[in-house]
Amino acid sequence: MTDLSLPTALQAPSPRRKKALANRFTPWFFLAPFLTVFAAFFVAPVGYALYLSLFIKKRGGFGPARQAFGGLTNYVRAFQDSEFLQSLLHILLFMVIQVPLMLLAATALALILDGVKNGFAGRFFRTAFYLPYTLPSVIAGLLWGYLYSKNLSPFNQITGLKTDFLASGILLFSIGNIVTWTWTGYNMITLYAALQNVPGELYEAARIDGASNWDLTRYVKLPLLRPALTLSAIFSVIGTMQIFSEPFVLRPLGYVPDNITPNTYLYLVVARDGNFSYGAALAVLLAVFTFILSGFFLRSVQGES
Amino acid sequence: MSGALRSEAPARRLGKPRKSSGPRFTPLQTAILLLFAFYCLLPLWWMLTTLAKDNGQLFSTPGFLFALPSHLSENLHTLFTRQDGIFARWLVNSVVYAGLTAAGSMVVSAMAGYAFSKFRFTGRDALFNVILATIMVPSTALVLPIFLLMQQIGLINTYWAVILPGLVNPFGLYLMRLFWDAGFPSELMEAARIDGASEGTIFYQLGLPLVRGGLVTVALFAFVGAWNNFFLPLVVVNKEELFPLTLGLSVWNQTSSSSGQEPLYTVIVLGALISILPLVIAFLSLGRYWQGGLASGAVKG
Repeated sequence: MTDLSLPTALQAPSPRRKKALANRFTPWFFLAPFLTVFAAFFVAPVGYALYLSLFIKKRGGFGPARQAFGGLTNYVRAFQDSEFLQSLLHILLFMVIQVPLMLLAATALALILDGVKNGFAGRFFRTAFYLPYTLPSVIAGLLWGYLYSKNLSPFNQITGLKTDFLASGILLFSIGNIVTWTWTGYNMITLYAALQNVPGELYEAARIDGASNWDLTRYVKLPLLRPALTLSAIFSVIGTMQIFSEPFVLRPLGYVPDNITPNTYLYLVVARDGNFSYGAALAVLLAVFTFILSGFFLRSVQGES
Repeated sequence: MSGALRSEAPARRLGKPRKSSGPRFTPLQTAILLLFAFYCLLPLWWMLTTLAKDNGQLFSTPGFLFALPSHLSENLHTLFTRQDGIFARWLVNSVVYAGLTAAGSMVVSAMAGYAFSKFRFTGRDALFNVILATIMVPSTALVLPIFLLMQQIGLINTYWAVILPGLVNPFGLYLMRLFWDAGFPSELMEAARIDGASEGTIFYQLGLPLVRGGLVTVALFAFVGAWNNFFLPLVVVNKEELFPLTLGLSVWNQTSSSSGQEPLYTVIVLGALISILPLVIAFLSLGRYWQGGLASGAVKG
């Protein structure tokens, strides 16, 4: 009788409770490696960039410049830095021209390939379209760089012209072409996979209702593609913000301005000018812009549906 | 953002080809497909026709056509002997960087994905969403502070500097969670617990074999990402003997176009082909894995 009235806490823990306690720690044991690298190579750098971005170089009289707290000075400077703003404009241009064109092509190709039996031809085209993605962006940049270069270009050799694909007027489009070449097939495969996962009965039902091929595409397939397309668009926007290798390897082959993309500008601010704190501020701004753009995009797509 | 990422993907089968809904391509469709295939393959074709030329032939023979006599062996010789055969060193470096990143990222993602998939704990969903959202942070924004932090602990110019940051792989984590959700039933786990199996045994001996497809997919994407990485090594290593292929070739491109030396164009093209061969082979032979990965919304490098 007295035994039964003992508070549970004083009783010897049952195996079950022990197990429950162990279970509380088990997930953290499995999470530990990921969280460790995440803390070291994501959280810490982000925190450090934020901290660093608040400092400025001060030159007081003689001697080397010192780091001094500058508050938001670097951010204010970024918004007045016409070279930086220009690089953002380039990216914006990419987003309104290159991204939609690429996704349009990817969607069209995915729809065509999905409409036909998955035979040899289908496999060949999927592989061919996908192949460019397997190239490192540096290598893609190099290859196209040689194809573009005024002296080397086989296009010029064939046509007998002396087109400079790296001239300042069309440089952005030439880079856009490299990006399109690399990523269209990749996006096509994503969209194609989404189409292939639609149960066939859905199409049969639509056909029985008398839907034509075009109806099927317009009213069944395109709406079904929406989530995959949204995802592709967001990743394209993120990818666009990160363009670096292509213009970087084109630099030795022609005149590529430092601020062709925000990333090349950021890199040169740091690597050439050694201005780490301003670079950190630019990095933070870029991350914030990417967040805003992706969020804005997601919101507008969700709002429509 | 992450809500959308999550809600749609698990519904999809991971890369299972399905039926067809029509008979054959119309002429217009065929034309479009051929045209685009031409566009995709043309630069690769140019690469094949160029790698056996010497500099003279590059300018004197028609582009896109093979030229005789072949200078393939000379170009190979230059490629592997220039600067005391540093190209081979770069090749080895790339294999080490990509291999260790792939292995490490696979282990780390598999464990964390398991925790998110099979356990309930406080803050689980919030933590998962935060980690996924970090996909949106441009890598350049990270590489700069990573460089500065590494400088303080002396990691710059080491293999670790290139490998460790690649272990943070939110997409791998996401993918592994999907595979654990779909491939390892919780009832099986409960049954093993009742039989007295330890948590480690359940994960390692019972669980892992069931998500083998996920492991290969994550490792494949991590390998490709690391193999193709350029910005991170550009910033964190500046000794040529630590360069990966991407960085090494880019430096050769820079020096051969600017200084007074004999340009290396065709040798670089040959090096470029060698540097992409492992990836092309990996993708062609592991086709079903990358298609599965892409089907669940793979992320750009």
